[in-house]
Amino acid sequence: MFSSFAIVLIGLAQTQPGDGFTQSSIASAYKELTPAICLVSYSSEVTNPSTGETTKRDSSALGLLVSAAGLAMAPGHMSLENAEPFNINVTVGHGDNEQKYAATLLKKPDDINVCFLKLQSDTPLNLPHVVFAKGVQLGVGEPILTFGILSETLDYARGAFTCRVGAILEKPRRTYCIDSPLRFGFVGGPVVNGLGQAVGVVGFDLTAAEGGDLYVRSGQPLVYQADLFQKYIDEPPSETEVVAHGEEAWLGVFTQPLGDDFAEYWSLPKEGGVVVSSIVSGTPAEQAGMKSGDVIVNFNGTPLHCKQDREVIGFTKLVREAGIGKTVPLKVLRNGKPLDLQIQLVERPKSAREAGEFKDEKLGLTVREITTDVRIVLNLSEAVKGVIIRRVKSGGAADLANMRPGVIIMNLGDYSITSLDDYKGAIDKIAAQKPKEVTAFCRAGAATGFFRLEPRWDNE
Amino acid sequence: MNKRLFLAMSLLILLAGCATMGTTSERAVIKAKDKVAPALVHIRPVKEVYASGKREEVQVVGSGFIISPDGYVVTNEHVAGESKSVHCVLYTKDEVEAQVVGGDPYTDIAVLKLTTPPKNLPHVTLGQSSKLVAGQTVLALGSPHGLARSVSMGIVSVTDRYLEDRGDEMVSPFNNWIQTDAAINPGNSGGPLVNLKGEVIGINTRILSGAENVGFAIPIDIAKEVIDQLIKNGHMTRSWIGESLQPMRVKSEDPAAKGVVIADVATLSPGYEAGLRPGDIMLSVDGIPTNARFEEDLPAVRKHIADLPVGKEVAVRILRDGKEQDIKVATAERSLLRGDQVEFPEWAFTAVDVTDNIARRAQLASRKGVLVTGAQVGGIAANARLINGDILLAIDGAEVPNLASFKKTYQSLIESKKPLVMLEVKRGALSRFVLIKQEPGEPAASAAPEPGPVQVEGGSKNVQ
Repeated sequence: MFSSFAIVLIGLAQTQPGDGFTQSSIASAYKELTPAICLVSYSSEVTNPSTGETTKRDSSALGLLVSAAGLAMAPGHMSLENAEPFNINVTVGHGDNEQKYAATLLKKPDDINVCFLKLQSDTPLNLPHVVFAKGVQLGVGEPILTFGILSETLDYARGAFTCRVGAILEKPRRTYCIDSPLRFGFVGGPVVNGLGQAVGVVGFDLTAAEGGDLYVRSGQPLVYQADLFQKYIDEPPSETEVVAHGEEAWLGVFTQPLGDDFAEYWSLPKEGGVVVSSIVSGTPAEQAGMKSGDVIVNFNGTPLHCKQDREVIGFTKLVREAGIGKTVPLKVLRNGKPLDLQIQLVERPKSAREAGEFKDEKLGLTVREITTDVRIVLNLSEAVKGVIIRRVKSGGAADLANMRPGVIIMNLGDYSITSLDDYKGAIDKIAAQKPKEVTAFCRAGAATGFFRLEPRWDNE
Repeated sequence: MNKRLFLAMSLLILLAGCATMGTTSERAVIKAKDKVAPALVHIRPVKEVYASGKREEVQVVGSGFIISPDGYVVTNEHVAGESKSVHCVLYTKDEVEAQVVGGDPYTDIAVLKLTTPPKNLPHVTLGQSSKLVAGQTVLALGSPHGLARSVSMGIVSVTDRYLEDRGDEMVSPFNNWIQTDAAINPGNSGGPLVNLKGEVIGINTRILSGAENVGFAIPIDIAKEVIDQLIKNGHMTRSWIGESLQPMRVKSEDPAAKGVVIADVATLSPGYEAGLRPGDIMLSVDGIPTNARFEEDLPAVRKHIADLPVGKEVAVRILRDGKEQDIKVATAERSLLRGDQVEFPEWAFTAVDVTDNIARRAQLASRKGVLVTGAQVGGIAANARLINGDILLAIDGAEVPNLASFKKTYQSLIESKKPLVMLEVKRGALSRFVLIKQEPGEPAASAAPEPGPVQVEGGSKNVQ
């Protein structure tokens, strides 16, 4: 076992962020920090979203121990929409004193692209771990040390590479760009500044919530500052099995920035703002009578000056954190005239990530509830009720009937399906009667149609 | 061969094998070939292709056959449709220009007329595809890979192959297909499939990609009706009530089950307005039974509805909740499979009218608006982030009812050089504002697309 120590490097390295690291400062940082770096190996089941075929593959990633009790941080790509990791093992130590732990994936945060793992142990753990310095800023040109794991062919040797902050992006939040190319085994590895403080980890993109789905910053190594994830170390997320949602407030609008050209067209001051382009039905925005083309210039006392797409993310964050159930004041320009609105925010609806699933062994498929985000992506009106097929088991009744992932089941036999519970109830009732054939009324894309299933009741 | 010369065929395939038929008399084959070959036409149309936001012209190669002494030529719509000029090479190697008389994408048939037909023009005899049997020897004539005057031989593999509609282009709602193992290649499209009497019994049209010797021809019985109407009116007129059908088999294996399953009803259709709903079993239309136990039975039912007079009120007998009832539906005219495509060179994008098909796929509340089919990189529209698939619903606050109206508004905006133009578009489930920035001093003509090698690549995407 390891002796417990938190790695706080201050004092070991130089006291000033000078022009670089000395050999001895790198060596001591290496000695202190690398025990907290571990190797995460896992398998994942990857679902091809169009065919529903699943393949399994083995992967590995860098893990970083962040608590003595066995909390580890790993890159966000461990958990993706269509890839479910399982058999997660964390190897702590390197070489002769390796120790392997099974680990559980915790719920992935949606404001930073990292995952958290809980190491499993029958006895309390006391592991070496990194403690991050709080509130540290970096400057352009500042030397930094990045730590990571080299490839399998290089025996997973731990590495400490020197580089510098090459650029600083201010929006949607302060982000440091590292001046060297991305090394895969270094993603998630700690970053140390010239003062010897652990200031963050290496990342390479923004989350969808930050506009990362545009892939504008992918591939460029960045520093995720500790301030972005410290809250999850202090209070780790729940386990994935426990569906947690709704901590965030929601207005129910899709927006565009008020660029100067838009302001000019509508004869508005060129001071930025948020243009409401789509309003989701049944949301607070709709109930408050917001209209497409409204320009929000102040939300809950905060003036909005968004002129570019990425700046709108700041508005999204404001809404999210404004508090569920709270009535907030909005200043809106409608046809150029100011208008004050009071809108009571509601809980953000569940996303597909958090959607409930039901694995039906009888028909050989897994269905999922239709969440608001899926409704928008698939352009489904509120009138379309049902459950959406997520997976189809090869050779099962659904597969033989040609049902495919993405198909929405609206009726099963004589039962109309509007929720997962409806589905579960319907399949139980149908199974009790063991009919030779079951007809499903479904929607695939814009068209509806029927599937005839012939379940093999005896083969259960 | 010219780089820009593309072979027209619905699907690509591997090489087809060579069939040797020991039992077939060589003389019979030669005799049949001799009856048809003089009327064979090698067709090189210049097609309009819209790709990546601009209109281009590409030359394709296909086959066809002369059906009358005055110079009517039959080919595939995917060969000669959307062409301004069609260059034909006759069996005598004489070259003649032809005009497109009309095309029908629903059956993939087009009729051309030779502009100056030579005297004593040979023409084919049309047979009866209903009399075909599987196993019968057939010949395929045409220009595989552009090689004119080619003949291959095989048998009828299946007489009533059902092919599911695929996407917007590959549809055949009203016919089953003759499947043959006679070698058919890209370039054979539009050429005749011939029996040993030397009668044309099919039009070679498709091949199964990745397979060997799996070719498909349109049965000539279906084609005859279309050819007659195209010659008479220049276009096909069909009725539509908005139904999508599935065979009874999807609901029950019971061989006694009568009717056809209504799988879907377009919301903007006469059928929906009259009260037809998915799940209804359609038993008959105006007293004529509409039975389709298997998918092979569907084209005949669809054709029965399509052949009804447009605007006629018909009694659709349905079975719903175990009870029979009649629903009166006034048929509407089936809209074009593809709307007319238009290029807007100054803003560098292309668009089509919203057809019934597009409205249904995009789940639009009405047929208003125009569908953007492409925006050139670096162009005014693309810079404003207008993208392929956007439905343009309003321009400067005024509704866009259709493409014709948009063309007018667009033209006046080009002339006025109004610096900022606001478009409201529907993108999937969401709406968006798109602000077009016209350069005020710029002469309208300078933004027209410049020719360049990129066009070849862009054009090839749309060529089948």
